[in-house]
Amino acid sequence: MSKVVVRSLRARVGLVAALAALLVLTAGAGVFAQQTVVIGTLGPLTGDYASYGVSVANGVELAVNEANASGQYNYVFRVQKEDTRGDSVQAVNAINKLIELDRVTAIVGAVLSGETMTAGPIAQDEGVPFITPSATAPAVSEIGDYEFRNVITDDKQSAQMIDYVVNTLGLQRIAVLYTNNDYGVALRQGVEAGVRAAGAQLVAVESFLDGDSDFTAQLTNIAAANPEALYIAGYYTEAAQIARQAQRIGLNVRIMGADGFDSPLLVELGGDAVEGALFTSGFDSETDDPAARAFIEAYEAAYGVKPDMFAANAYDSARIIIQAINQVGPNRAAVRDAIAATTDFPGVTGPTTFLENGDADKPLLIFEVQNGRFVRVR
Amino acid sequence: MGVLGQQLLNGLVTGSAYALIALGYTMVYGVLQLINFAHGEIYMVGAFVGLLLVTVVKLPFLAALPLAMLAAALVGVTVEFVAYRPLRRSSRLAVLISAIGMSIFLQNVALWIFGPATRSFPPPFQVSVLQIGPLRTNTLALLTLGVALVMMVGLHYLVRHTKTGKAMRAVAQDRDTAALMGINVNRTIALTFLIGSSLAAAAGVMVGMLFNAVVPTMGVMPGLKGFVAAVLGGIGNIPGAMLGGIVLGLAETMGVALLSSQWRDAIAFAILILVLLYKPSGLLGARVEEKV
Repeated sequence: MSKVVVRSLRARVGLVAALAALLVLTAGAGVFAQQTVVIGTLGPLTGDYASYGVSVANGVELAVNEANASGQYNYVFRVQKEDTRGDSVQAVNAINKLIELDRVTAIVGAVLSGETMTAGPIAQDEGVPFITPSATAPAVSEIGDYEFRNVITDDKQSAQMIDYVVNTLGLQRIAVLYTNNDYGVALRQGVEAGVRAAGAQLVAVESFLDGDSDFTAQLTNIAAANPEALYIAGYYTEAAQIARQAQRIGLNVRIMGADGFDSPLLVELGGDAVEGALFTSGFDSETDDPAARAFIEAYEAAYGVKPDMFAANAYDSARIIIQAINQVGPNRAAVRDAIAATTDFPGVTGPTTFLENGDADKPLLIFEVQNGRFVRVR
Repeated sequence: MGVLGQQLLNGLVTGSAYALIALGYTMVYGVLQLINFAHGEIYMVGAFVGLLLVTVVKLPFLAALPLAMLAAALVGVTVEFVAYRPLRRSSRLAVLISAIGMSIFLQNVALWIFGPATRSFPPPFQVSVLQIGPLRTNTLALLTLGVALVMMVGLHYLVRHTKTGKAMRAVAQDRDTAALMGINVNRTIALTFLIGSSLAAAAGVMVGMLFNAVVPTMGVMPGLKGFVAAVLGGIGNIPGAMLGGIVLGLAETMGVALLSSQWRDAIAFAILILVLLYKPSGLLGARVEEKV
C-alpha cells in the first residue's frame, strides 16, 4: 500500500490547510514571517445595549491596529468580534465560537454582567484568559482565576455615589429603582450599604424588568415616599425613559446612576429630563492627560465619535493582553499569569493593577449632565 | 388614598391602550374567527409612522395621528388580502400560522428599516403636569384617555347605528347568509381590518409618546396583552374588549403598585388562564354554543 489515498474529509481539509500555510510562508519568503495571534471580543453589537458593545469592539480594534502599526511586537494581532445582542444565551454561543473556531488566545468581554456570567465560566473551563471591560456585577469575580475585570464593581460605584450625594450635596431621603438583573441588584445593594454608611434614609425601593417601558406605577409609589434623590440602577435606555416619566408625574428630584448612564444616547433619549443627573464612571473624555488625549483623538479619527468609558476600558484591556502575549507568547495559561501580574499599567483610565480576585484597582469619577454634556464634578 | 387613586389613574391610562388593541382582535375574531397575531405589529407600525410624521415631517399631533392610523390601516388591510384571504376556506390552523408568520415578517421588516435601537418619541406639544385634587397627572396621559374614549364611542356608534356596522354584525353572525342578503363580504371583512388596525395604530402612537419609546419589538407584549384583554372581555364582543382592556390595565398596575413589577406579566397571563378555565366566554361574552 504505497499509494496515498486521502479519504476522510478532515484529512483533506488538513491537507488544504497545510498547502495554504506553505503558500503563505513562501509568499513571505525572505522576511521573518510573524505569527498571527487572535484576540476575541464579544458583546452587544446590535440591540438595546449596542452602544456599549460597539464601543468595546472599537476600543479593542483600535488597540490592536495601533499595536500592529507600531512594529514593536513579536506577533501580528487580529481581532475577532462576536455579537451577543446583549442576550445571555447568545453570549454562550459567541464565546464557544471564539474559543473553538477562532482559537483565540485571550478575550476582551463580555460587556454586560448577565452575559459575562454565562459566557465567562466557559472561558474559565477552557482555560482562556478574559478581561471584561464593563461587567460590574460583584459575582463576576467569582468565575475563577482566568477572569479579570478592568472596571470598578457596581456595589462600589453606587456606594460612592450615595456617599457623594449625602455628604457633599446634603440630600438625605434616597429612593432606588432598580432593574431586576445582576447589574441592578448589585447597584441596589451598594445603595443600601452606602445609605447605612452615610446615615441617610432609604425611603423607597422599587424594581422593573429588562425591556419594560411603563414605569408610572413604580414612580407613583416612589413619589409618595417624597424622596430628595432617585438612584436609577439600570442602563441608559430605561434611565432616560424613567427620567421623562418621573418628570411627567411631577417627581422632580436629583437623578443618579452608575456607568450604565455613560452613553450620549442618555441625553438624546432623555433630553431635559436627565439634566442634572449624576453618574459614576471610570473615564473622562475631556481629560488633559496626554496619553489619554492621544487615545481620544485616535478614536475620534477612526470612528467619528468620542470614546466613552466602555471604549477606554476595552482599549486598556486589549493593550494589557497584547503586552502579556508579547512577553510570554500566545500560550493561554502563560498569558493568564502575565495579566495577573499587571501592576500600575499606564492605562488611559488611570494606573491599573489587578487584585487577587481579578478586579482592577483604579480611580472612580463622578459626572453631572450639564446642558446635555457630561461634566466631571469629582 | 392619594397613592391608590393615583395608581388607579395610571392603570386606567394603560388599560385604555390595551382596550384599543383588544378591539382589533375582537372585531377580526368576530367576522373571521381568527386570532390575528400580526395585530401587535400593526400597533408597532402605527407608532413608527406617527414618530416619522412628528419628527421628520414635523406635522402637528392632530394631523399625525389620523395619518398614522390610515397608514397602519392600509398595512392591516394588505395583510388580510395577502395572508388571510387566500386561506379563507382552509382550516383555521392554516390562517393562524399565516398570522404568526405575518407577525414575524412585519417585525423583521421594521428591524431592517429602523434598526434595533429604541427611539425616543417626543410629543409635538408641551406636556405639563396637572394637579386634580389629590391626583397628579399630565396632559399627555389625559390626551391618551381622551383619544381612547373618542375612538371607542365612535366605534360603538359605527357598529350599532350605521349600515356598515349592521353589515359587519351580519357577517359576524353568518357569513354565507350575509352574502345571500347582498352584503359584500370581502369588502366588509377588509373594512373590519381597516378599522381594527387604525385603532391599534392610535394606541401605538399614544403609548409611544407616553413611554417615550418606539422599537420594532414593541408590539409583541402589548399584542399579547390586547389578546388577553379581548378574551377577558369575551372574544368577539366589542364592549367586552373595552372592559377587558381597562380591567387588565388596572389589575397590572395595582399588581406592580402593591406587589412588585415582577408580577406585571404574570398577572396578565394568570388572568387569561383563569378566564379560560372558569369563564371561557369572558366577562361580557354570550354563552353561545359552537355552531354545528
